[in-house]
Amino acid sequence: MTGKVIYEVKNVTKNYGAVVALDGASLQLHAGEVIGLVGDNGAGKSTLVKVLSGAHSPDGGTIELDGVEQVWHNPRQALEAGIETLYQDSGLAPHLTVSQNVFLGREIMTKGIFGKLGFLARKQMEVQAQADLEAVGIAFASSNRPVSQLSGGQRQAVAIGRAVSWARKVLILDEPTNHLGARQSAEVLEVIRRAKKKGLGVIFISHTLPHVLDVTDRIVVLRLGQIVADAPTSTFTADTLIGTITGSYKGAGSQK
Amino acid sequence: MAKSKQEIATSENTVRSFGAWAKSTFSNQSAILVVTLLILAILFQIGSEGIFLNFGTLGTILEDWGSYILLALAETFVVITGGIDLSVGATVSLSSVVAGWVLVQGMHLDATTQGSAALPYVLLATLVALLVGLAVGALNAFLINILKIVPFIATLATMGAMGGLAIIISGGMPLQGPNDFSLGIAYNIGGVQLPISTTIVCVLVITVIAGLYLHKTRFGLYTFALGSNPFATRAAGISPARHLTKIYMLSGGLAGLAGAYAYVRLGAGSPSNGAGMELYAIAATVIGGASLMGGVGRVVGVALGTLVLFTVQSGLLMVKVVTVSPDLKQVIVAILIAAAVAVQTLQKSNRR
Repeated sequence: MTGKVIYEVKNVTKNYGAVVALDGASLQLHAGEVIGLVGDNGAGKSTLVKVLSGAHSPDGGTIELDGVEQVWHNPRQALEAGIETLYQDSGLAPHLTVSQNVFLGREIMTKGIFGKLGFLARKQMEVQAQADLEAVGIAFASSNRPVSQLSGGQRQAVAIGRAVSWARKVLILDEPTNHLGARQSAEVLEVIRRAKKKGLGVIFISHTLPHVLDVTDRIVVLRLGQIVADAPTSTFTADTLIGTITGSYKGAGSQK
Repeated sequence: MAKSKQEIATSENTVRSFGAWAKSTFSNQSAILVVTLLILAILFQIGSEGIFLNFGTLGTILEDWGSYILLALAETFVVITGGIDLSVGATVSLSSVVAGWVLVQGMHLDATTQGSAALPYVLLATLVALLVGLAVGALNAFLINILKIVPFIATLATMGAMGGLAIIISGGMPLQGPNDFSLGIAYNIGGVQLPISTTIVCVLVITVIAGLYLHKTRFGLYTFALGSNPFATRAAGISPARHLTKIYMLSGGLAGLAGAYAYVRLGAGSPSNGAGMELYAIAATVIGGASLMGGVGRVVGVALGTLVLFTVQSGLLMVKVVTVSPDLKQVIVAILIAAAVAVQTLQKSNRR
């Protein structure tokens, strides 16, 4: 079902002053696999996401994409290598339109001299953004509306649609079902399944454990900057997963 | 059936895209400003007993508009990123003084060189002023990006430093150099005195280009994105520091050109050329609908906002039916700013 290892971090550490955010974390992601990354607040999930997306450089450890070691100096390098990240709550610019957000950093220019002068092919991007979002399974009335006029669920849908439509190898989703209703959450999980079918490796970070148990193939549990469990989702129940996160359960999949 | 549906959709699209164009070019703020201008014109026409509306007055208003619009444009780009540039007024002083110094002290020219013979020197003065402005902008960018000083404080510091430098270089006196005053004189075509001069035409062209760049290009898009959500902008692979460097250099460059405008208007580089201009520029920007919180602003709005500001300034001088103290002008400008911000806030809360 799942393919070769596509993205891997080995023994990654990250300190903020005296605070140890990541303490020798290692993680393997396969093509066509969805892994759930869970842990309590302050366990190091967000830091690991930032290391994986190129926003932060780790203090130690290595990152490999398709078996080749990589050092990300900024998010652009990771983006260009095919790694898309949806950040918790802050992925979109509210004053820009849907299509401007979808194409931010990857704009299509008009042809000819005006394109060289920096003029944008606005109409073309609007049409393309609409098509891209629909292809991901997100239908939109109008891609030229400012994001600030959308509901919370619609915004999240745009952010996810943008990440999925651009991702070529790895898709990192940090709390994508946060603030969403039951039906919208179900749609997001469906989008994740479709991304998996496309052969993407997906890292799904969430506090909503039923979603994690529903959509993932494997669950990785972080506690105090260390990976304390890494096992197939089928080996967990809701109770044992909570126990592993809090540290009260030391059974299946638990390493420490 | 399917085809006719498509045809309907296409015609709807045409109507909608015209509507969208009109809406995006003339926002609500712009419509309010146009109405405000009309009301002001009527009030001043009555108040001045019929002498307000003529090309002479309009020429005076446009000349003032020309002095400030370049700074208001500079402020617009900066404010949309969520920053502010307090140094633009001092940059006008410094750039006009350095331009005057190069001609007077450097090339030993004086005010006796006039007319078209002075034209090459005016162009040189413009180039020098532009370079000085770009240098001040680069300094602001260094303070903000490398030393991580917030824009308000960084540009407050350069404002003081550049104002001081302008006084030191000029010795506190205007440096009178070669000038072609006809550049600033309104065209007279067939005995009709139009409200337009060469300098006004230059400034109008710059305004249109600035509008196209802010609203139609990648540079403008990144400007809005940065003010709207810097984190998302960085996550999209855009370097905030690199873009802010361009923004503050653009702001400085426009202030340098405003310095050149002041030089041509006065025929001299004077350390008082730009004193206090930054506050009027910021006021015009806010009246024009830009938000100091970032992410919002339109060049059409700012051009109209600047026009409203100077229509009020000129109009109040001509009112005869009641005596208007010059101090009252300040109060009225203050009311305009408050009203503009209130309108913005109300529009925002209506949308929710």
